[in-house]
Amino acid sequence: MSTTIALLGQPNSGKSTLFNALTGLRQHVGNWPGKTVEKKEGTFTLGGVTYKVADLPGSYSMSANSDEEVVTRDFIASGQADVVCILADSSQLERSLFMLADYAGISAPCFLVLNMEDVAKEQGKKIDPDAIEKKLGIPVMMFSATDTKAYEKFYAVLERALKNKSQLNVSALENEYEKVEGYSKIKSQLDDGVISGYTPMWLTVKFMENDKVVSAKLKNALPDEKLKKIEETAGGQNGAIAMGECKFKWIDGILSGAVSSSSPGVQLGKLDRIFTHRIWGKPAVVLTVILGLIASFIPALPFMGIGSAIPMLKGPVTASLSGAGCPEIVISVLCDVVIQSLGYIVQMLGFVFGVTFVFGLLEEAGVMARISYVFDNTMGKLGLQGKSVMPFLVSFGCTMGGAGGARVIDNWGQKVLTIALAWAVPCGAAWSIVPMLAATFFGAWSVAVIVAILLTMLLHMWLTAKIFGRRLVKEEERCGMIMELPPYHKPKWGALLRYVLGRTKDTFFRVTKVVMLVCAIFWLLSYAPEGSNSILYNIGIAIEPVTKVFGLPWQLFLAFVASMVGKEGSVGVISALYTGGSYGAAFNAAMSGAGAAPDLTEILLANVARPEALAFIFAITFNLPCVVALAATYQEIHSAKWTAKIALYYTAVSLVLAFIAYRVGMLIW
Amino acid sequence: MKLSEIKENTKAVVNSLDGDARFISRITSIGLTPGSRVEVIKNDRRRPVLLYARDTMIAVDRKECEGIQVTEVRA
Repeated sequence: MSTTIALLGQPNSGKSTLFNALTGLRQHVGNWPGKTVEKKEGTFTLGGVTYKVADLPGSYSMSANSDEEVVTRDFIASGQADVVCILADSSQLERSLFMLADYAGISAPCFLVLNMEDVAKEQGKKIDPDAIEKKLGIPVMMFSATDTKAYEKFYAVLERALKNKSQLNVSALENEYEKVEGYSKIKSQLDDGVISGYTPMWLTVKFMENDKVVSAKLKNALPDEKLKKIEETAGGQNGAIAMGECKFKWIDGILSGAVSSSSPGVQLGKLDRIFTHRIWGKPAVVLTVILGLIASFIPALPFMGIGSAIPMLKGPVTASLSGAGCPEIVISVLCDVVIQSLGYIVQMLGFVFGVTFVFGLLEEAGVMARISYVFDNTMGKLGLQGKSVMPFLVSFGCTMGGAGGARVIDNWGQKVLTIALAWAVPCGAAWSIVPMLAATFFGAWSVAVIVAILLTMLLHMWLTAKIFGRRLVKEEERCGMIMELPPYHKPKWGALLRYVLGRTKDTFFRVTKVVMLVCAIFWLLSYAPEGSNSILYNIGIAIEPVTKVFGLPWQLFLAFVASMVGKEGSVGVISALYTGGSYGAAFNAAMSGAGAAPDLTEILLANVARPEALAFIFAITFNLPCVVALAATYQEIHSAKWTAKIALYYTAVSLVLAFIAYRVGMLIW
Repeated sequence: MKLSEIKENTKAVVNSLDGDARFISRITSIGLTPGSRVEVIKNDRRRPVLLYARDTMIAVDRKECEGIQVTEVRA
């Protein structure tokens, strides 16, 4: 039998760092059954015993403000956790003990970790954990994730909490609650165990705070006359405020005599004066993200080198296999599906590795909170957090990196919405072909085309946020910014690196499965044995009357289909198709990095009309970014349904945009 | 007066909070309750108000400030 530890803490309490340090590579991320909430679990072994660690989602309290918070408290109350490890930030104890105060009254055993010991020391704060432990009745320890010795201490305290099944002493807190009018009256109507896992005290407090979930549960559990009595007594808004005051009075009582501070008052640091500047804040954040993006390429380069070298295996593999008498079709599958996809995946994985590392660093150091602060108002209009600006900017380079970077968004719905919007940002591959195509057809007017693309992108994002936002980010869960700017921390390099490697490995296996599958389907569709045409070619010809409505003759439509696998390949496909080459061969060659025909400009101008070119440019720019981005999206949001929804939506919208561009083009030329 | 009307580098005490259950829960969980002492660190027009309370630097949207009544404390 294994032991389960649940980690509970406010944002910036160092919960993720502790989780990563404890579990290392043994992590599993999924969704809570039937919920749009991310579930993070991991394991570690100590003295032959396996411990399961659940990193509980949530924000500042145990209220029912979001699905995350409801999942968290249900998990604890269900008794699945043998012990709950509650984290608080030593440098801001007064505020961060709120989670403990809100937890008080839930029956599961717990212990308290006062994290960020190093930051508190730097600020001149002295904390006496033993004094706090005496008042709380549960094990209390100072902790600093960057201190390697701290873990031995952590394991010892964990053992102690498990052995004693330590329960929080809540009598002083209850004394405070009892002073509030109505509290005792309501509590007297609730029997022990009326809702399992929660004490009558906790339920009373939540009822007075107008907690919708608790109120609904009590409605089911209580006989009518009792329900009537408690509903009569509830104090509305004042009850909620009074409960909050009680919690902080209790915290003040716990800290008095246990904490001494010699901090000289507050001032914004140099960096924060820039980030919070009315004018320079936004440019500073954008610059930070761009520098981060550039820095991401440093760890990414070796991967990219290996990735681009992989397709070179095709030649020797083909030669040796055909020498051994292997059938052509097997060689084709091996080269055009397996080797091709691997090369592609490894290259992009490098980017994801870099982005995860650099942006994980920014998150741990506290810089991400500043990014969030600066862009929260703008992103809030789309239903997103300020942090969402980061995946958007990364997506100008690579959508897969954007999807990977969306990991720092702690709310599942907002994460899915962020990735869905990031897809609308034209990626590096689009930028490598679109300006060239535009210049070929429109000369100096290509600048206008680029501007039109950028405007369309903004409109697209706004519209997509409207369409998907309602389902993903509930209106009542949206609220104006009330956030903390945590002090800057030193990152824990070892744990971060282990975590990033683990995630990269995980991404590799999951992404590979999806990419191979999609590539195999495309290969099958484009495979043409001697003397016959590929399925895709036949379909393209058959539905040309339809695709022409969108301004795409069959050659351009097939190139559009090819751009779903990778945008770089689509130009090669066009030049091959207009010069009588086969689709399959052209596509595979183009994806392996073969250049387009030298007389590409003439081929294009001779065969494609300007409105068609405009339609094509819009179609491939706003098409789904590529199969690797698709797979990465699936990996991040763990929902096949939403991944498919987003993919279909993008395909449809890109065709609509092509239609509009074509009609506009017809009016002009 | 409202929290957003306090000048930079001025201390104040929270008098009352007003808003829906969600707002009350968020604002108390970040440490602002009646009686809390706050210091406004930055208050630019059309930007969130930055304040320091309970050892924490907190950013609050101007719109959310509407629900936070405070009294200025003169040094």
